[in-house]
Amino acid sequence: MIEIQNLTKSFGPIKAVDNLSLKVQKGTTVGFLGPNGAGKTTTIKILTSLITATSGRATLNGIDVLTDPKGALGHVGAVVETPEFYPFLTPVETLAYLGGIRGMSADEIKVRTNEVLHQVKMDEWRTTRIGKFSKGMKQRVAIAQALLHEPDIIILDEPTSGLDPRGMVEVREVIKDLKRQHYTVFMSSHLLGEVQETCDAAALIDHGKLLVYDDIDALSRQTKVVKMEVKTVNDVTDALLGRVRSMASVRGADRVNGRTFVVTYEGAHDERADLLVSIQKEGAKVSEFSSVGLPLEMLYMDLVKESR
Amino acid sequence: MIMMAEENKTVHTVPSDAEQIPIVWRYEFLKYLRSWRLLASIGIAVLVLTLIYVIPPALGHPYSGTDSDQTLSLVPAGAFQVGGSGGPVPVAAALLDRSNIDSSSVAIFLNGTAYPSSNGANWFVSNVEYGGQNVWAVFFVEDVSGDTVTATYDWQTSPESFAGNFLGFASLLVVICATFFGADSLVGEFQNRTGYLIFPNPLKRWVLYAGKFAASMTAGGIVVVLFYAGIGVLSLVSAGGVDDDFLLSLGFAALYLMAAMAVAYLISTVLKGTTGATVLTFFLFVMIMPIVDGISSIAGTKIQGSLTFAAGVIGYILNDPYPTDASQTFPGGMSIQSYYPDPATAAVVMIAYAAIAIGLSMYLFKRKQLAG
Repeated sequence: MIEIQNLTKSFGPIKAVDNLSLKVQKGTTVGFLGPNGAGKTTTIKILTSLITATSGRATLNGIDVLTDPKGALGHVGAVVETPEFYPFLTPVETLAYLGGIRGMSADEIKVRTNEVLHQVKMDEWRTTRIGKFSKGMKQRVAIAQALLHEPDIIILDEPTSGLDPRGMVEVREVIKDLKRQHYTVFMSSHLLGEVQETCDAAALIDHGKLLVYDDIDALSRQTKVVKMEVKTVNDVTDALLGRVRSMASVRGADRVNGRTFVVTYEGAHDERADLLVSIQKEGAKVSEFSSVGLPLEMLYMDLVKESR
Repeated sequence: MIMMAEENKTVHTVPSDAEQIPIVWRYEFLKYLRSWRLLASIGIAVLVLTLIYVIPPALGHPYSGTDSDQTLSLVPAGAFQVGGSGGPVPVAAALLDRSNIDSSSVAIFLNGTAYPSSNGANWFVSNVEYGGQNVWAVFFVEDVSGDTVTATYDWQTSPESFAGNFLGFASLLVVICATFFGADSLVGEFQNRTGYLIFPNPLKRWVLYAGKFAASMTAGGIVVVLFYAGIGVLSLVSAGGVDDDFLLSLGFAALYLMAAMAVAYLISTVLKGTTGATVLTFFLFVMIMPIVDGISSIAGTKIQGSLTFAAGVIGYILNDPYPTDASQTFPGGMSIQSYYPDPATAAVVMIAYAAIAIGLSMYLFKRKQLAG
């Protein structure tokens, strides 16, 4: 279990993390969301003992990482940002080094190294020095080392960063595997779809403060703002868009192309039905309409906008 | 499914701090074994050994030979401290300008005519102290000042003198090792972002420091020991033996390596870039501190606390007797002091530098955050 209590981190006058409290229950996968500079990485750096906190408490399996980092990190696997590796070592040697530090026997290291390198599709590069690797390959090895010792808690800071689309899918599958096996996973990401796809719950922070933290389903239900793409058989004129923007519950309307526009509005099914009627009354001959964007994305945009 | 189910996971016990240090040492040292730095350092040592060994004979200064018909300059014998008693009392003496003489081969000629020793009744050869140094001299019992005195003798460079030619470079080699293996060791974890890999582990910062320092010392130690081994072998071949203080010199070189490495680590924790740390470490030892040492000679103040001054003991320790401080006054009244580090004080200075720099750099490394 990860427990953060009243955590604050200041860099001079700037509070990167501001009295943050959060609890990640054992066996859950929690996404940690927020815009750039929100305090996600700072929080993760505190959890992984890369930096100290100004005040507050952060425990991993009940051990305070601020006062006993060695004890707290003993059963944690972490990937923070995109780490660099010692260029003269191979993945096998790097994993042997880290496995040794974490108390794994030579036999265990050998077995697990084969497994995790296979899992991140790096088998064929196992004895190549990491100095020759691309960023994506390094990210795969970084994930492999985090899983090596089968830690109780896995902390991932933007784990798909630097990966190609196929690599992203593979890493998401790894995270889903961890979720199925009830590992405790705390993962920051910019990719809302990724969080919605892989996590049980999500915490959203901005300016170092927690805005919302709930199950993904509950968060989706909280979403008030919806985007709808509307296709018409006649041209979308500026006059039409202006009239749509002035309608009740509408937050914005933007042309996609000559006969398509996206309208952002607050509400649920009733509001959407009313809105479609109103749009047609304004002269638009609607041929198709569909919701666009993820509920979590809508909530994110809404809450971040409010907090700023 | 490759990953083991959680309930079947192996529970690992994190090794103790003492058990983790050799693990860190092993992989840090592996880095050096595979990097160009260790090879380059050894290459520099081999190159220096080769150059110092080959160039003097190539320029006409071999390590052994025979001096024939060397004209001797006589001075009063009282200038020398001649040991023993009961023998003939010499009235004049002449230096034989070689560090080691085969005394049985010496032949003296007066005005071109052989002048036998007659079992020391006419002259004898002795190794005596003169001007703070051990020298070879011929002592004459009779007054031969009115004659042209020449000598022929076999000579060989003494082990002390032979090793002394090379040990002038030992301090610089130590500085090169400290620069290559210490200067960017800690700052590199931050600048190169490898800290993101190693710090989020159950590993205390001081343990990481200790393992790294041990690896740096191992790499530097290999280079220095190889250098000394090379001198030892060459000395056996060319000087017929190894100076009795040779291992003591190696001990001082090892102490200097530890102190210089500690200072390099301190610079590595204070600075933010690897280039700056590397440049500052090198120039601190080859330029900044030697300038201070030089000024102390002119100012007439012996700065025993200077690490580079203390490092002079690495070469001086071979001198028998050990040199003493001296003053030389030039026309116009300006005087230059020649200072020599006291061996015991030099050892204390090196240990103090090492202890303070290690303590301080370990403290700073522990507090340094990977915030960038």
